Amino acid sequence: MANVSLKKVVKRYGREEVVHGIDLEVAHNEFVVLVGPSGCGKSTTLRMVAGLEEISDGTISIGDRVVNALPPRSRNISMVFQSYALYPHMTVRENLGFGLKIAKEPEAEITKRVNEAADILGLEPYMDRLPAHLSGGQRQRVAMGRAIVRNPDVFLFDEPLSNLDAKLRGQMRVEIKRLHQRVKTTVIYVTHDQVEAMTLADRIVIMRDGYVEQVGTPTQVFEKPANTFVAGFIGSPPMNQLDAIVANGKARLSDGVEVPLPADARVSEGQQIVLGFRPESFAPKGHSLHGADRSVSVARTVMIAEPLGTETILFAELGGKEVQGKMLDPRPVQPGEMLDFTLDLTRLHVFDKASGKTLRA
Amino acid sequence: MTRFFRSPQATPYLLLLPAIAVILAVVLVPLLVSLWTSFTGYNLTKPATLFQWVGLRNYQRVLASSDFWWAFGRTVLFITIALNLELLLGLGLALLVNKITWGQRTLRTIMMFPMMFSPILVGFQFKYLFNDAVGLVNNALFDLGLIREPIAWLVDPILANFAIIFAEVWMSTSVFAILLLAGLMALPKEPLEAARVDGCNPWQVFRHITLPFLMPFIYIAMTIRSLDVARAYDMVRIMTNGGPAGRTELLWTLMTRTGYQNSQMGMANAMGYVSIILSIAFTVFYYRKLTQARTFMGGAQ
Amino acid sequence: MSAMTIEKPWQRWLIRLGVFVSMTILVVPGAWVVLTAFRQNIEILAKPAVWIPQELTLKNFQGIFGLLDTQQGLPVAQYFVNSLVISVTSTVVAIAVGMMGGYAFARYRFKGKGALFLGFMLSRTVPGVALSLPLFILWARLGLIDTSWGMILVYMSINIPFTIWLTDGFFRQIPIDLSEAAQIDGCTRWQAFWKVEFPLARAGLASAAIFAFLTSWNEYALASQLTRTTASKTMPVGLMDFTAQFTVDWAGMSAMAVLIIIPALVLTFIVQKHLIAGLTFGGVKG
Repeated sequence: MANVSLKKVVKRYGREEVVHGIDLEVAHNEFVVLVGPSGCGKSTTLRMVAGLEEISDGTISIGDRVVNALPPRSRNISMVFQSYALYPHMTVRENLGFGLKIAKEPEAEITKRVNEAADILGLEPYMDRLPAHLSGGQRQRVAMGRAIVRNPDVFLFDEPLSNLDAKLRGQMRVEIKRLHQRVKTTVIYVTHDQVEAMTLADRIVIMRDGYVEQVGTPTQVFEKPANTFVAGFIGSPPMNQLDAIVANGKARLSDGVEVPLPADARVSEGQQIVLGFRPESFAPKGHSLHGADRSVSVARTVMIAEPLGTETILFAELGGKEVQGKMLDPRPVQPGEMLDFTLDLTRLHVFDKASGKTLRA
Repeated sequence: MTRFFRSPQATPYLLLLPAIAVILAVVLVPLLVSLWTSFTGYNLTKPATLFQWVGLRNYQRVLASSDFWWAFGRTVLFITIALNLELLLGLGLALLVNKITWGQRTLRTIMMFPMMFSPILVGFQFKYLFNDAVGLVNNALFDLGLIREPIAWLVDPILANFAIIFAEVWMSTSVFAILLLAGLMALPKEPLEAARVDGCNPWQVFRHITLPFLMPFIYIAMTIRSLDVARAYDMVRIMTNGGPAGRTELLWTLMTRTGYQNSQMGMANAMGYVSIILSIAFTVFYYRKLTQARTFMGGAQ
Repeated sequence: MSAMTIEKPWQRWLIRLGVFVSMTILVVPGAWVVLTAFRQNIEILAKPAVWIPQELTLKNFQGIFGLLDTQQGLPVAQYFVNSLVISVTSTVVAIAVGMMGGYAFARYRFKGKGALFLGFMLSRTVPGVALSLPLFILWARLGLIDTSWGMILVYMSINIPFTIWLTDGFFRQIPIDLSEAAQIDGCTRWQAFWKVEFPLARAGLASAAIFAFLTSWNEYALASQLTRTTASKTMPVGLMDFTAQFTVDWAGMSAMAVLIIIPALVLTFIVQKHLIAGLTFGGVKG
């Protein structure tokens, strides 16, 4: 059993605190993704788990062992670095077997496990090459191979795909997922890319400025974002967020449009709120994703249309701001064209303006 | 204390400890001794004078001596002329070699040639070349029919100074040429092309793109050079040893003459301090320029 | 750059001429000395000058090693051994000590780092002549004058700062990820250094070593004051043996110059590539 447990973990550089008391439980064999903008403390947190950064306060345990004082080599973890950190002076085979050699495993065992890993990742043709003679995707695979040969308790990934081009990134994403299904291990994966987080994670941890903003399954964080930050971070194109005031139980936007609020929204009359809705919920009549049971209609002028093939992103003005809508099953739309948009009321998000926290149950 | 040495914070200090110890023992302590003796009337032949405190008398006498000021002025002039000439010629050479596409590696190897020579060898080499009786220079001028009487290169005061600067420039231009060539080869292509698209002529491209990019390399070369500019002592020592009649006397030759030949160690150490400050001043000046240029470069990348 | 600019033929010839003249000036003086080392003394002193040697000879070399009856032999062989022992020992120690220092600067953050680094560099700026004065006084009292150990210590102190500077640059070019990956793969920090960082810095360290060796091998100002006899006199100091008040043995000196230059020549060729990279980019990138 190798669950990972972070309790009130703090990281300070000198006087500056960059990670503020994080609590996190990662279950055995769970795939957890830490996601957030750069500088949010996700990599620092991962490096504390790895033992590459000292833990200023709090405890980290792997299994039932507190590892605070253990050096990286005693934690039985492996890590894939953003730069891959392949040893340039060793062949692929030597790179893969290095950890086992250090652990003084018998030669036969090393060969066996290196070959297994090579087989899983399809590395056989390159075994005697140096990293300099590999493509980006191949290097990435070697880095993963080096991590799996050692049968670690925990796999750590530090933005492993950010040096690859978009197409390769998509392929490797699937490969990592397949790898996890095949080699069941606890995984902590750091990325700034919310698509990676959504597609890979069992649970996502969204971080900002050294705090955890929300922890949940991809569906939870997408459908029930805890605050405006998570709402804006997860989903692409991002959620539209409009300032509004509660009047007569409805949200009144700055341009006077009134939107009925969901029944479970805990608002008070006159409260300043942020009304959120995803582009999917704002579509011209007859072009929406969900058959809207409850909706309001507004006529808006399309300012820009971005045809993407299966859908077209439309830009229009609402509540004094530019909002994006998604037109499914699209037809050509000219800028300046007036369209009747429907706003799906069942998928509205309501946040408190001051705290940014969600007001829905 | 023992707890500190076992903590991880101590590691860098422990790693540096041997280096610090050596520098303390062989550089810092001697410098303190030298500072002490510069305030005594220490004479090599009379050991007891090591403790004869004379205050600032050595400095007063040094500063009042015209020999010293001639040597000092000549040294500053020598450094300034040599460094600037080396920079200009080195830059020119680097630009020329950079234009050559075929056999550039060989050319770079040839440029390394003078760097392998120890200064004392360079001195000997030019002492031989400029020798009035058997030297290559006079032999060549004779056989080309340009002169009838041998030219006394190392005896005539003006020509002797010229010969010394020539030797110094020969020895060190390569340092500039090689470092600047490395800089030119690392020069990114895009800004050059952008400038050309923007309508710059070749001189403007050089002036506004190439030269600013080369500045850190220039300062590196200058820093390295000012670090060991005093190596010129070896060269002068063998070529003229300060002669004729003190006309090529530099601070460094004057210092050894005072210390070892006239045994006036106190005086010599006082001059030594002047020369140390001079070296440090040149080095720090260029090093600071380098750090500035480095931050400036950082923004461009 | 050169590929893009279109030069007119006369410009191209002008560039080639410039390069040719510069290279000639760089090569001829040294080549002339080397040639002289193999010429007969009569030819060297001949008037009018003899440009093309009639006969090359090894006599000058035999002469300086005392193998000829006609010429008084100098202890050049002993000087050579002294130079070798002093240079090699001081280099080995300076590299070991300097590498530790360079690694500390490249990999750790600590109080007084900047000041310490500056201190090392400043210690290197002290002119050899100026340092020789107090060292002469101290070494005399410690009995280190005219000993190999005295010279080894001095050359260590000259080479350590430069080695620190170079190795700092070399180690910083090695991504810190590699050492971290090795530690996660089960290495101690010590193992990670020897198995990953050291092998990668080896080429750089080799050139730093050669640089240190050459500095010691070529040094004159300190050696000329701190050595006296065959017990510790080095080659550059020995070169001055050939100059008397009014006469100079050009042939003998040239032969000795060749002996000094050969090791330098060979070693410089070996490392030239690394050396330039180390000097420039270590410094420019900071």
